[in-house]
Amino acid sequence: MVQHSRLEILGQHAAGETNSADEPAARAYASRVVGPWSSGSDRETVRSLYFHVPFCFHKCHYCDFYSFVDTQDRQQPFVDRLERELAALGRLAGHPTLRTVFVGGGTPSLLKVDLWERLLAALRTHFDMSEFAASAADGADRYAGAEFTVECNPETVSEPLMASLRAGGVNRVSIGAQSFNPRHLKTLERWHDPDSVPRAVELARSAGIARQSIDLIHALPGQTEDEWAEDLDRVLSLGVTHVSCYTLTYEPGTALTARMRRGEIEPAGEDLEACLYEAAVSRLQSAGLSRYEISNFAASESDRSMHNLAYWRQEQWLAAGPSASGHLWRGGSMRGGSWRWKNVPRLGDYLSLDDNGLAPIAELETPDPARLLRERLMMGLRLEEGIDARDFLADTVAIAPDRVERLSEEITSLRDRGLLRSDVRGRWTLSERGLLVADDVAATLMRTLA
Amino acid sequence: MSANPPNTSLDRAHIRNFSIIAHIDHGKSTLADRLLQATNAVSAREAKEQILDSMDLERERGITIKASAVTVYHRHKPGSKSDDLETDYEAPADETGEHRAVKGTADEHGELFMLNFIDTPGHVDFNYEVSRALKACEGAILVVDATQGVQAQTVVNAYLAINEDLAIVPVINKIDLPSARPDDMAMEVEQVLGIRAEECIYVSAKTGQGIKELLAAICEKFPPPREPVTPKLRALIFDAVYDDYRGVITYVRVMDGGQLKVGDKIRMLGTGRTFQVTDLGKYTPKPVRVPTLGPGETGYIVAAIRSLKDVRIGDTVTLELDPATEPLPGYKPPMQMVFCDFYPATTSETKGSDFEQLRDAMEKLSLNDSSFTFQPVHSDALGFGFRCGFLGLLHMDIIQERLEREGNVEIVQTAPTVSYQVLIRGDANQAVKTSNKGGIPPTVVAGAGQKFPGTEQIIPENRTLLEVHNPADLPDPSSIEDIREPICKVDIILPKEYIGDVMKLCMDRRGIYKSQSFISSDREMLTFEIPLAEIIYDFFDKLKGMTSGYGTMDYELLGYRPDNLVKMDILVNGDPVEALSIIVHRERAEHRGRHLVSKLREQIPRHQFEIPVQAAIGSKIIARETIKSFRKNVTAKCYGGDVSRKRKLLEKQKEGKKRMKSIGSVEIPQEAFMAVLDQGD
Ligand SMILES: Nc1nc2c(ncn2[C@@H]2O[C@H](COP(=O)(O)OP(=O)(O)O)[C@@H](O)[C@H]2O)c(=O)[nH]1
Ligand code: SF4
Ligand SMILES: [Mg+2]
Repeated sequence: MVQHSRLEILGQHAAGETNSADEPAARAYASRVVGPWSSGSDRETVRSLYFHVPFCFHKCHYCDFYSFVDTQDRQQPFVDRLERELAALGRLAGHPTLRTVFVGGGTPSLLKVDLWERLLAALRTHFDMSEFAASAADGADRYAGAEFTVECNPETVSEPLMASLRAGGVNRVSIGAQSFNPRHLKTLERWHDPDSVPRAVELARSAGIARQSIDLIHALPGQTEDEWAEDLDRVLSLGVTHVSCYTLTYEPGTALTARMRRGEIEPAGEDLEACLYEAAVSRLQSAGLSRYEISNFAASESDRSMHNLAYWRQEQWLAAGPSASGHLWRGGSMRGGSWRWKNVPRLGDYLSLDDNGLAPIAELETPDPARLLRERLMMGLRLEEGIDARDFLADTVAIAPDRVERLSEEITSLRDRGLLRSDVRGRWTLSERGLLVADDVAATLMRTLA
Repeated sequence: MSANPPNTSLDRAHIRNFSIIAHIDHGKSTLADRLLQATNAVSAREAKEQILDSMDLERERGITIKASAVTVYHRHKPGSKSDDLETDYEAPADETGEHRAVKGTADEHGELFMLNFIDTPGHVDFNYEVSRALKACEGAILVVDATQGVQAQTVVNAYLAINEDLAIVPVINKIDLPSARPDDMAMEVEQVLGIRAEECIYVSAKTGQGIKELLAAICEKFPPPREPVTPKLRALIFDAVYDDYRGVITYVRVMDGGQLKVGDKIRMLGTGRTFQVTDLGKYTPKPVRVPTLGPGETGYIVAAIRSLKDVRIGDTVTLELDPATEPLPGYKPPMQMVFCDFYPATTSETKGSDFEQLRDAMEKLSLNDSSFTFQPVHSDALGFGFRCGFLGLLHMDIIQERLEREGNVEIVQTAPTVSYQVLIRGDANQAVKTSNKGGIPPTVVAGAGQKFPGTEQIIPENRTLLEVHNPADLPDPSSIEDIREPICKVDIILPKEYIGDVMKLCMDRRGIYKSQSFISSDREMLTFEIPLAEIIYDFFDKLKGMTSGYGTMDYELLGYRPDNLVKMDILVNGDPVEALSIIVHRERAEHRGRHLVSKLREQIPRHQFEIPVQAAIGSKIIARETIKSFRKNVTAKCYGGDVSRKRKLLEKQKEGKKRMKSIGSVEIPQEAFMAVLDQGD
């Protein structure tokens, strides 16, 4: 009975392709979402913004993000275009007060300092950034109520850049270390020097960017448990308050996957993956970094990534830049369902197609309350905090009453098998074993609502 | 296009009905092509390969599944040993279907004969199809490959024809091949079948060499149709197909009476139903209407027959107004050798539309192939489906594939098993209550005081003989005195050097050596008695493998014999799965059990929980394996931009498992059901 929402694929170009400016692909624009959304009563309820900087120094072999090797000459047109998009979004959203901004890529830290300053200024013009201004005034704002993160590759972190970012309200950097082992970095085709990581952390810190996060990858081909333990120790020695640990994933269409298919590299296998992951959890937890999401660890509650929590909690966010995706509720609450959309991935299309500043989009999902329920299961169970069972059941009763029984049966069965718990706070959370098979648990529960 | 039937109707003396029979791949279908082409029934251009194999499946697999009947016309001078070919003196037929004689008048080339012939399948599973075809004929062309010689199905098919009292014209085919040894092969024919070597006609179905002689022999050596024995119309239904527009089309051979005409009211003697003939015709090989069908002729009848139940293959057609009373001797019902269950692949807990769709497809197909059986079953584990009986494994495969293609259904199939007879203590009424609810209760074969079928032995006091088609349907073990399994006589023809290996294979399969006989200086025929259960699955492949492809086999059911047989149950996650139960010899049970559970461990995917897989005899566990739970199945990175793609992946992961059946909370893939068949040797 629950209808499936239609995922409209609007442009025919998939993310991850090399860029080309020829033949514009998109026929639809973000106005299809932001228009109806902003004319409702929900303006100004959005508190988060993501924007995407597609440039990279070089293409890493495991990467399926939309990025391409920087040719410098496109940075300025890109910033011009992004400014127009930020202006349009800010206008349509009624200049909302932002609490979290996340700049991802690509490699945002590759953008030249003067261009960064233009972007930071544009943000202040088109959005209410007062929360960040307040925190900027306060020297050590680790615990301020706003979060502005920029992803950096360690070798691109420089003193002037950090100073500019700090002045523009940035209070968190996420540094892609991935590994400290040159051999494994080579497998990933990451070219940075492992020693650039501590240097980057230090530069950010001395510029007053109080929060630093490090990304690590494990289950690299040929990686041993000892090597992984060394990586973890290196990270812990840096004194950062946030770490993300990802199991290497062979994404379709990447060079790494092609090499794996050709038999040049051998994946770690399920059992070793699990073992390395468990080692990370225990090593980091004993060093005081507790897991708050499957792959994310933080020293305290306020060290968690507010912006990413917004994703996992199905909150709203605006999106700008090529391949960026956004999420907006219909009717001011999750019960009304939501739009999800994705801007076109190609820089060429993004630069040349313009709808009063809004970007062309490649994918669009229109509001479907049951779909959003399923997404809450999929995303929410990844969190240590889990899902509020009462809220979820109440929403299910409202949206898909005939599914409540099957859902609760499935919950009971997962509980009996020790994969899921209903904790004292009245929340569904995954057990240690459940977290390891979170996809399967989510799929099982989602099926009851399909 | 095609040779239209001439305006003059032919007397019986100028009609010939014959089949083409042979071991598989010896060139029956190709020879049929040549006959069609030589008589100008199709032009050289139209003569693509194996024209009569019209089913897609036949073309893909390169085998004949259905016998097909066609009619061609040919001129023959009585007494001559070689004829002119129609292609030699007639231009190809023009648009009106008329042939224009280009060299003199047609009459100069002989008297006009109508040749009705049937290309038949060669595989052992389709012997029944062959014997049906033979009933509509007076002669058979026995094709023998000049490089392969007499093979197992050559022998069987030849004997089928001999038993029907048919005249046989042996043909040594493929003489164009450099490795052809026609004289040696003719000697083999004489040695094995007792047909004189000089009778053999040497042919190349590929180049057409020898076709003139063959056509002459067909007219000379095959007798005309027998004289009608009654003035009342009697026609044998030897095949039928369902056509969406015209209903059931029946293929008949008119045996007795006068002419059957369009407009006649006909009656089926067996079913008693009556119909009005709207169309009569022949395949030439294109369907061509004819006004009448007379004694000795074959053709098809269209009579607005809507219900599949109104037609039975082997039934007799007569006239409603002037009916015959005695039906023609029909067909012995075919004997199903292997049984399995078909379930709709989609999992639905209720007896849903996919079940009905499957039933519909089965009913339609069963008309065209009446040699498989089906009965509804319900299994707790697998839902609603059908227990089906087949002539052999290839037959089972073909039926499954035809159902899926023609009926547009997707099927999960359980492992095929043979039927078993069980001698039980006590009376039948009680024992036929199977413990497997939803299964098919055992049928009573014979009671106390009666003979065991096919033997002189008497069933003792207070004993009953039952038959089951599924190990799961066995009666309560405490009442079982013994379990009997079907035993086959297996004939294997093979080059001498492989005899040792093949003997060992047969012994390993519980075979009993019977005899060894001479075929030629380098080939022998071995005869063994082997339980059918041991040969239905991979025996033939093994034989082929160990004889470099040269060994051929045929088998024939002898009867049932008791042995030390036990039922082995398979428990998945603690629950017995009836579709995985097998009956095994006690001495081999442990080995089979261990092999089977380890196969299942490979084939059942990991789940969220650990799954024990056990083999048990009664309550005794004889083998055990554990399928580990997923260690890890979680996406590392899942952020805002990943939601849509990720959701679709997870949703697909759950719904897209076709050809899986959930048993309890365990998903079992189709291949796992087949693991049962693997003997592990
Ligand atoms: N060289 C040669 N090949 C032949 C001849 N007759 C049949 N074949 C080939 O033998 C194979 C089997 O022929 P087919 O007619 O399908 O055999 P069937 O299984 O008896 O119907 C095909 O590849 C034919 O092309 C022949 O006279 N000469
Ligand atoms: S730097 Fe990041 S975005 Fe760029 S190619 Fe490497 S992994 Fe991909
Ligand atoms: Mg054939």
